[in-house]
Order: sequence, then C-alpha cells, then structure tokens
Amino acid sequence: MMSVLPLMAVLLPMVGAVAAVRLQRISSRVRAIGLGAICSVTAVLSLSLLPGVLRGTVYELHILQMTPEIWLYMRVDALGALFGATVACLWLLGLVYSDGYMKHGHRQGRYYAFFMLCLAWTMGVAYSGNLLTFLIFYELFSVLTYPLIVHEETPEAIAAGTKYIVYILLGGSLVLLGVVLTFFVAGAQTLSAVPLLDAGMDHSWLLLIFWCFLAGFGVKAALVPLHGWVPDAHPAAPAPFSAVLSGVMVAAGSFGIMRVVYQVFGVELLALLNVMPYMAAIAGFTVFFAAVLAVNQDNLKRRLAYSTISQMAYVTLGIALLTAEATSGAIIHITNHAFMKGALFLCAGLLITRAGIRNVSEMRGIAKRMPITMAAFALATLGMIGTPPLSGFVSKWYLGQGILQADQPLYLIVLLGGALLAAIYLLPIVYAAYFLEPPAVEQSGADTDDPDAAEAPLGMLIPTVIASGLTIVLGLTATLPGMPLSLAAKAVEQFFR
Amino acid sequence: MTEALQMIVHPLPALLVFWPLACALAVYPLGRWNPGVRDWFMVFATMGALAGAAALIPLVTAEKRVGFDIPVLIGEISFMADPFGMLFALFTTFVWVCATLYSLDYLKHEKNHDRYHCVSLIALSGMLGVVLAADLITLYLFFEVLGLIAFLFVIHTQTDKAKSAAIKYLWMTVLGGLALVAGIFLTFGLGGDGSLLPITFDEGNETLRWVAFGFLLAGFGVKAGMLPLHTWLPDAHPVAPAPASALLSGVMIKAGAYGIFRTVTALFRPELIEDASEAIWAMAAQLALVVLWLGIATMVVGVILALGQHNAKRMLAYHSVSQMGFILVGIGTAGYLGAEGGMGLAGGVYHIINHALFKAALFLGIGAVAFRTGELDMYKLGGLWRKMPITFGFMLIAAAGITGVPLFNGFVSKCMIHHALVWAYEVEYSTALFVAEKIFLLVCGGTACSFIKLIGFTFLGKPKMEYGAEVTEAPPRMLAGLGLLAAAVIALGVYPQLLLKGVFAPGLEAFALSTKPLTYFLDKYFLSPADLITTAGIFVLGFVIFAAGVRFHLFHLHAPRWFGVNHWYIALAENFVKGCGLAQRAYEAYLRHVSWMLDELGAEYLQHWKRTSRRWRRFLITAATGAPGPRTQRFISSAYIDLEKECRSTVRYSVERTHEWLRICGDLNTVEGQDRVEAVRGIAVYMAQRLLNTRLAVLAEVVRTGKTEVARMRFPSVMEDVKVFRSTIAHTAMELAERRMAGEDVLAEISSAVNALLSEERFDLRLVQTPDAHGALPVLQQAAFRSQEALSGISGSGATTRWHAYGLGRVEHAARYLLDLTRIAIEAATQERTGWAMYEQVDLANVVATRKQIQRYVRDMSFNMAMILVFFLLFMSTILAGMAR
Repeated sequence: MMSVLPLMAVLLPMVGAVAAVRLQRISSRVRAIGLGAICSVTAVLSLSLLPGVLRGTVYELHILQMTPEIWLYMRVDALGALFGATVACLWLLGLVYSDGYMKHGHRQGRYYAFFMLCLAWTMGVAYSGNLLTFLIFYELFSVLTYPLIVHEETPEAIAAGTKYIVYILLGGSLVLLGVVLTFFVAGAQTLSAVPLLDAGMDHSWLLLIFWCFLAGFGVKAALVPLHGWVPDAHPAAPAPFSAVLSGVMVAAGSFGIMRVVYQVFGVELLALLNVMPYMAAIAGFTVFFAAVLAVNQDNLKRRLAYSTISQMAYVTLGIALLTAEATSGAIIHITNHAFMKGALFLCAGLLITRAGIRNVSEMRGIAKRMPITMAAFALATLGMIGTPPLSGFVSKWYLGQGILQADQPLYLIVLLGGALLAAIYLLPIVYAAYFLEPPAVEQSGADTDDPDAAEAPLGMLIPTVIASGLTIVLGLTATLPGMPLSLAAKAVEQFFR
Repeated sequence: MTEALQMIVHPLPALLVFWPLACALAVYPLGRWNPGVRDWFMVFATMGALAGAAALIPLVTAEKRVGFDIPVLIGEISFMADPFGMLFALFTTFVWVCATLYSLDYLKHEKNHDRYHCVSLIALSGMLGVVLAADLITLYLFFEVLGLIAFLFVIHTQTDKAKSAAIKYLWMTVLGGLALVAGIFLTFGLGGDGSLLPITFDEGNETLRWVAFGFLLAGFGVKAGMLPLHTWLPDAHPVAPAPASALLSGVMIKAGAYGIFRTVTALFRPELIEDASEAIWAMAAQLALVVLWLGIATMVVGVILALGQHNAKRMLAYHSVSQMGFILVGIGTAGYLGAEGGMGLAGGVYHIINHALFKAALFLGIGAVAFRTGELDMYKLGGLWRKMPITFGFMLIAAAGITGVPLFNGFVSKCMIHHALVWAYEVEYSTALFVAEKIFLLVCGGTACSFIKLIGFTFLGKPKMEYGAEVTEAPPRMLAGLGLLAAAVIALGVYPQLLLKGVFAPGLEAFALSTKPLTYFLDKYFLSPADLITTAGIFVLGFVIFAAGVRFHLFHLHAPRWFGVNHWYIALAENFVKGCGLAQRAYEAYLRHVSWMLDELGAEYLQHWKRTSRRWRRFLITAATGAPGPRTQRFISSAYIDLEKECRSTVRYSVERTHEWLRICGDLNTVEGQDRVEAVRGIAVYMAQRLLNTRLAVLAEVVRTGKTEVARMRFPSVMEDVKVFRSTIAHTAMELAERRMAGEDVLAEISSAVNALLSEERFDLRLVQTPDAHGALPVLQQAAFRSQEALSGISGSGATTRWHAYGLGRVEHAARYLLDLTRIAIEAATQERTGWAMYEQVDLANVVATRKQIQRYVRDMSFNMAMILVFFLLFMSTILAGMAR
C-alpha cells in the first residue's frame, strides 16, 4: 500500500533538527515544546503503522529514482515497523530526559539538532525498502552520531569520538562493499519476503558478501573483535544519548544483520552455505567475553556498555540459530533490551547529575537519597537477568526455545551463563545501593543543598520510570496482539515459509 | 486416568494467588496511616487467604482438578488445584496466619514493619503460586518471585550477619533459578509441553534426560536445602526475625520440596496408563534412587551439624535440612516403587505438612524465648519452664512432633516413610537400602537427642543467667499463633485418617497410584506394637547419645572449615570474580600491546613514506626542471628543511610554554590569555625566522668555502645542540609579550636579543669547528652581495638586451614564468610535512590547540570560498557582458 507515513516519520525529525537551533535561540522552553511535539508525532506515526502491519499490509513509497534501476524506496514490514516504533519511543523518552539533563549544558542547539537528525536517519534505517536506501541512512546516522559522542568536548570524549569514527567508517565501508557486491551478483534489491540471493549463484561470491555484511554490521552490533568503540563511547556521551546509543544504535547493527540474513540471503541459502555455526560461535564468545569484562568495571556507564555488548550478542545468537522461535526471541530482545538498558543508562545519568556519582564504588547507600531512581534501576536489573515476569525473561524464553528447536542444547549454557554474569555484574550494584552504609563523609559536590534527598526533578524521573516500567508491561502483556511478539511472529512468518 | 485429568474452570485458585498480592499494595498506605489498623489488616488478609484455601476443599473434593488461566507473559499463566496443591495451599495459609498473628507483637523489637508485612504478603502470593501452578512456567515465575522476595526477609534485621547470610542466600537463589530454568528448557527439549504431567520420552536421549533431571533437582534442591546445596539455609534462617524464620523454614523451603515431588512423581515418571517400556521405568527408578540417597545424606549431615550448635535457631535450621532429608527419602522411595509408591509419597507429603507445623511452632517458641530474654544460646538459658509455662508446653508439643512421639504428627509420617523404605529394600534386598534403613533409624535417634538437648537446656534445669522482671509469659497474640500450630500438631497425630483418606487417597488416584498402601497403613501399622517398640528404641538411643555427648563434650566438636562445602563455594565465587578481574587485566594489557605495535608500525610507515616521498620529489623536480644540482646543493636543500622544522618547533615550543604558564595562572581561556599567546607567537615567529635566515646563509657560505663534507657530518648533531636556544627565544618572547600587547614597538629589543643569540650561537663554528673563521655577520653580508651581483649579471648581459629588441622578451618572460609556476606547484604539492599534528596523547591543551587550528582552518577556508565566489561572479559577469555585446 502506498503511504507517505514512513517518509513523514523521517522528514519530521529532520524539520525538528533544522528548527532546533532556531528555537533554542528563542528560548529553551519553546525548543522543548517544539521538539517534544515533533518527536511525539513521530512516535505516534510509527505506532500507527503497527496495526496495519499486523494485518499484513506493507506500506511502501518510491521517493526518488536515482538511476533506471535504483530507487530511494521505503517499505515498512513487520520487522521494520517494530524497530521503528522502538526507536521513536525510546527517542521520545531520551528527548524528554535531555531537557532536564542538558539544562546547564553547553551548545544545546547543536545537541538537539543532531539528536533529532539521528532520529530521522534511524527511522530511515528502520523503514528503508532496499539495500541502497538502507545504506544511505545507515551511513548518515553512523557518521552524524559523532557530534553527539564528543558533545562534552572533554579529552576522553574526543578520544572516544575518534575511536568511534574510525571503527564505524571501516565497518561502513565493508557494508558498502557488501551492497555493491550484492548488486553485482543479484541486481534488483528490494528487501521483500523473497531473498535477493539464491543458491544458483557462485558460492564464493556469496560467502564474500556474507562476511562483508557480517563484519560491517558487526562493528555496529559490537561483536567481539569489533566492539572496541562501545566501552569508550558510552561513558563519554551525555546520558540520554548513551541510552539511545545503547538501546537502538547498537541494535541497528543487529537489525542490519537480520535484514541480510533473512532478506538478502534467506534462511535456506544460509543453511546451505553453512556459515551460521561460525556466527553463533562468535556471538556466544561475545556474550561471555563482554560479560566477564563487565564484572570488575568500576565506571558504571562502562559496565553498562559492556553489558550492552553481551546482551546484543544474544540477538546475534538468536539470528544465527536460524529457527523460528530463536528469531522471534532475537527480534523482541531488541525492543526489550532497548527499554531495559535505556532505563539503566537514564538512571546512571541521574546519578551523575544529582549525586555526582560515576563509579559503582561510590554508590553505597544511594538508595536512601534517590529511592525512585534506584527502584527503577533494580527493576531494569532484574529484567536484564531475565527474572519472570519481566520482559527480559520473555526474550530469553524464546531464545531458549529456539536453541532447543535448533537442537543445539549447549547454547543454553551461553544463554544462562550470560544471565548469571548479568546478575554478577548488576546485582551487587543494587545491593550496595540499598543495603550498604553510605560513605561517612558526605559529598558536598552534589547539586542539592539537602544531602538526604537528591531525587531528580520529575522531568527526568518520568522517562526513567516509564522505561523501567515498560519492562513489566512488555513482560506481562507479551502475547497480546500489537506487542513485539506478535510483530515478531508476523516477521518470522515471512522469513520462514 | 483421562477422566481424572479433566479440569473444571474456576477462578478460585487464581484469586487465591492474587489476593495477598492485592493486599500487599495496601500495606504501606495503611502503615503510614495507622500501624494498628495495618496489623489487623494483615490478620484479615492472611485469614482471607486461609478461607480461600478452605473454600477449595469442597471444589477439589467434587471435581478433583480446578484450574484457571490468565493470558499474560508467554502464552498464559495457569493455575490448577488438585488434592495435593490444595493441601499445600491449606497448610501454607494456615502457618501464615499463625506467623502473622505472632509477628504483630514480636516485631516490636524490629524496624521497618511495613516492609516486613509487605514482603510477607508477596511471599505468600509466591508460595501459593508455586503450589497452585498448573504448568512449569507458572511454577518458575512464582518460584522466582518467592525466592527473590524472601531475600528481604533474610536481610530484614540489616545486621552484618544478616547481610552476609542474605548475600549467600541471594546468589544461591539466583543460581538455583538459572538451574531451574535450564531444567525447564530441557524438559521442553525432551518433548514435554510444560505441563506438570509425565513427559512421554523418546528413546535414546538418556544423557539429556539425566542432565535435565539434574538441573531440576538442583534448582528445587537449593530452595529445599538439599545436600550439598544447603549451605545458605543454616545462615539465612536464624538471622531473620522469628516469624520470618518460621515461614522460611516451615513453608518456603517446601516450595523446593514441592518441586522435587512434582519432578520425581510426575515429570520423570512414565505415564502409567500407557505401555511404558522397561528402560524408561528403570530410568525413573534410577532417578528416584538418586533422590533417595541425597535424602539420606541430607538427613545425616543435617542432624550431625545440628547436634553441634549452640544457637537454638541455628540448630533448628540444621534440623530443617535434616527433616528435608526425610521428605526426600519419602519422595525417593515413592519414585523407586513406582505404582506401589503410594506409601512413600503419602509419607513424604505428610511429612512436608508436619514439618511446616512443628518447625514453625519451634521457631516461634524459641522466638518467644528470645523476645523475652534476648538470648539464643541454649547453653546460657535454662529453667524457663517456670517463667514461661505456656510457651514451654507448646514447645514440648512441637518437639514431640518432630521427634516422632506417638500420637503426635511426626510419628505418623516418619512411620510411613520408614515402612516405605523397608518396602523399597524388600524389592531387591539390596544391602545399600538395608544400610539406608538403619541410617534412617539412627538419624531419628539423633533428632530425639537434639530436642532433648534443646528442651533440657532451655526450659529445664537451673537458670544459668539472671532473668529480669521482663522475662514473663509471651504476649497473648504470640501465644495464639503458637497454640494454633500446636493444636494442629496434635490433631494430625491423632487423626491421620483425616488427611490420608480425605486428601491423599483422591490425590493418589489422580496420579493413578494405588491407594491400598494407605488403608494398609491405617489398618496394620498405625500405632502397631512393632512401631511403638521401634519408637521407644529410638528415644532410648536419643538419651544415650545425649548422655554420651554431655559426658564427653561431643557437642562442642567442630570440623575444620575446609571440610564443609560452604568453604569451597565461597572460594569458588571469590576466585571467579578474581578470575574475571584477571581476564580484564590481561585483555587490557593485550590492548596496550596492540596499540604499542600499531604506534611502532605507524612510525615505521611514516619513515618509509617520508623517504619515498623525498625520492619522488627529487624525481619530479629533476623531470620538470632538469638535472638535480650537485651534492652540495642537495645538502643545502635538505638542511633547509631541517632548519625550517627547527624554526616551527621553536615557535610551537614558545606557545606551549605560554599555555602552561597561563594554565598555572588560570586564565588560559580568557581573551587576555589568548591575546598573550598570539603576542608570544608573533615575537617567536620573528625571532625564529631571523635565526633561520642567518643559519641558512652561514650554511651557504660554509659550502662555498669547500667545507661541505665536514658540515654534512656535523649537521645533525649541531641541530640537536641548537635546540637549547628554543627556551631562550621562548623566554624572550614571553617577556616582551606584555609590552607588545600594550602596543609598544619592541623591534629593537627583539633584534638585540636575536643578535645576542647569534653571537652566542656561532653556527659556523659549530659546523666546521674552526674558531678563527669569519663571523656570521660578515658572511651574511658577503652572501647578500654575491647574490645581488649574480642577479645583475644575468639581467645586464648583452644577449638578453638584444632578444628584447627582437620582441622575444615576452616569450622568454612567459617561459620563465611558467617554469617558476611549475616549480612552485611541485614544491607545494610535494612539500614535506613538517607540521605533523598527530598528538601523542589527548589532553586539554592539545584539545584547545586543535580547536583553534580548526577555527583558523575554517576561517581560511571560508575566505577562500568567498574569493572563489567573487571570481566566479566576475567570470560570469564578463561572459554575460561579452554576450550582451
């Protein structure tokens, strides 16, 4: 069905980006209202696509013909619609939170402009209908993330930004190579239910294309040898951006891998090529490796960043198993993880702004001063571990079922070992915050005059609590129509025929 | 069987589970408003749950299975009450009512009443959810809720002891939960559908079946305090407040027992109605034997450790471990005997209920003693029967229950388990089971001894401490809680038919097990002379052990720390975290190594690149402008580059020094500071340039006088030496900057400084080391004169004048112009990069410098763009003008 809605979802934030600087000059309040409205509308747009997608409608729009064969083309299927909705909702939370977080920050115009721009490109990634469109949006948002990572302009931020841009450009060029090779081998490139490549093509080409794509997207999805930028970029970026960075930007890499696996190659072809065992092994290694490194990190955001690497590898593992259940698990884990990790990063931001705490070792007894923040943190932590009935359990459940469906029960060790390590690196934080005595000397560097109460203003607290609360909602209502699982089922229905 | 499986849909089980949860929401508001009302609300809430559980009785009696599904989470969570589930729900709610009643007064010694009550209700909900769950997912969900929320019970007092016990509890619960979910996953992999019904196994996956069974057993076993996963239990139960201990020890560990009960008797048991193959039966019997032996080990270790305790609550906690062993033996024999396993199953489940009643009563009784005396060490108490006679009475009943005195409830269940064990032995007459049966009796004797010791030391004998006036009978609400439990202990001891006929018979039928053993037990064994004699023997044994223990101080023996599994668990956990740290450090070292290698590689590459580019440059110049100059000329041109570099380094050095100084003064980012930097830069550039020119001229002169080779040799070291003058220049520049900023003319001072520097430096002397050579200044003058002469010589020659006359001048001009342009272009294109701006490390000064560079670059670029635009416009207008004409 022709629809301009997907294009609107991309254009609106772009308008917001252009308006951000102008509005900021008028006043912060005007900017907040204007951007909030734009972002809300984008979120509503992305959500409004869901019912149609669930009915089986595919929204599409040809934007621009670049050459006789190549179009800029948008196409919303179940996978893209779910990712788009996740992106828009998390971004809205991040935007609302930014208003409080950046209040005394510098260069707010630049920050908001790029924040909105990144939303636009990420929506574009979600809704792109062919590989070229995908590539354009993917590269744009990868590169334009840079000003947000270096936003603080501290030496660490600039160093992290340099590292980020080097990694991402290398990854991006591999993706470009993959796209070019695909075009060379297959020609037309609409991402539909029918895979682009088929078994009749030269297998060495196919293998080359696969590894190009995997290495390219693997940088963004933080698979282990390529993960180097993640633990530096997250602590350096402003907290609301860390949240979206961890929640959906890293996931964009996994999303790209999904597009490649299910729509460029197709399940049967990959089973034939026999590359998935390697991918699963890489993912399994990533889960453990990153989690082990997270255990002793003292910087809270760095620990969370390693946790992101570990958790996103679950998604890759789910893809690599090539079973319907595991795919469902992988798809919903993107959404579930986005909100859980978003909540954790937003909490970390609150700790930084309200109590001046950046390190885990300083968090003893903080729950007395920031009860709501730490409650949200604890809830998201339990979600990450996969405690029922929270959303993390649902995705792990489906991944586990997928592992059994694939008849590889040893990967259960990865699944549960990762959960155990998540408990090891997150639960002590919660324990320390609630049950250990706060340090004897009261820190005077906190924002508030009253050392006993450092709870954040509502503007920052509400997005945090919503993100954390979604952990319960997404868990309890997992099987209702319209929830991630139903969309994942729809997507899986297309991929596994 | 299929008939028995039919399920009636009724919301009561689900309501029963969610009722306490809903009540928990009201605890905090009520507590803020009025603690008294909150207390009675708690009694109301638990009573409501009890009433709900009681209301299940007629339903379940009539319909066998009552269930309800709620569509949440994955698929749905479903509840089902069958006779066993109903029984568990009943005793759970009953003990909860007693403990709640008791807690109202007891908690006066504790803080955070709202939290306690809220946790209590959520835990009740979790417990009911576990026992009323219809499938594994629901069971797991509530099992986790129960396990995690009970953490708050353990840590409630927030003493150091409570904290360390709670941490241990938490980790073992988390691990147990993961083991459980692994086991559940594997049952799906084995072909199960998640329900609590026998799995129809495929042939040939024995290993996987064992693994799945192991995980399930470990997951439930952690909660149940099964050996060797019991280590959290004796730490966690004593540190909680007494009513919480009663709930933890009496009820919550039964969630684990319930899980094992379902695993052995339902999941891993062949479907009786089908023709199950022998292999599967044998397998089920093997699994059950594992449980049986684990039970034996658990009861032995529990009772031995219990005998060595001073702390009464800790002793009771070890008895919880031991009694769980009895239950496991019952369940194990049930699985082992298969269709005839009704006796063991009924005995095990009966013991679950009995233990809940008497252990809760014991904890509450000891809690009452501690409430009044503040002392838990039984060696320090004594003679309390006078002060607290009613408590003593209730404790006596509970102790009679746990030791198995006839007509008290423990007697019934222990007899049943014992008979089941004897039956199991009689199947094959294996020596192992014969030993097991003897061990069973010994443990019974140990239990008897242990409680003789508890009652004797605490309530009888002479007081070993002074009791104050506050040591009187416990408050009535506490006694009420205790009394209810004691009454139940007697009731179940005197009328075992109540449960055996009313609940177990239909329950066994639902499992398709024979109910004959039950009637057989009631007719033949219950209170039979043989059993009574055995019991008497056990008590004699108990007294003997007690006497021997007191006489030879056996109760004070302790095994070394490394003997217990606890020590190894802690070592494992600590070493794991340390190992993670080690891995992290190794990884970071590896990263450092890689980055060092990359740096080295980069330096190497840079060097090669420079060399190659120099050759290329020489080639280009040769190609464009003829053969390269002689050796001397090459020396001068390369030396020029080095001198130019030195000049730039000097300027940068001055600027950096200024930055440092400004940072110390703290006005680095002010306008004034930036102006100062600019002033320093200006002066330094001037001085460095003059130095460069002079040095170059000196070099040319040295070469001209034929000392090239010496100079060539010495040049690098000289360049090293003259670096010291950088600081002189920086010093001068910084001194003069102030005046330059003020707008004064400081050229004279600068010049004199440069001259002083030059005369100090004696570049020529340094190069050729002949002290009597010409001075620098005359050399310069000489050089300037010579170059002028050469130039005038070219322009003034006759030939050129003649060419001018023939009009060739313009061509010649053009050619020379083009040649110059080419040379400049090549020079520009191939110029060596002297200003390599990759900083070694990123610090604030570099960042500021980079930002300034970027700004300057942008300014230049925008100027260029503007110029291009202007030229473009001019161009366009010219064309337009031409067209118009």
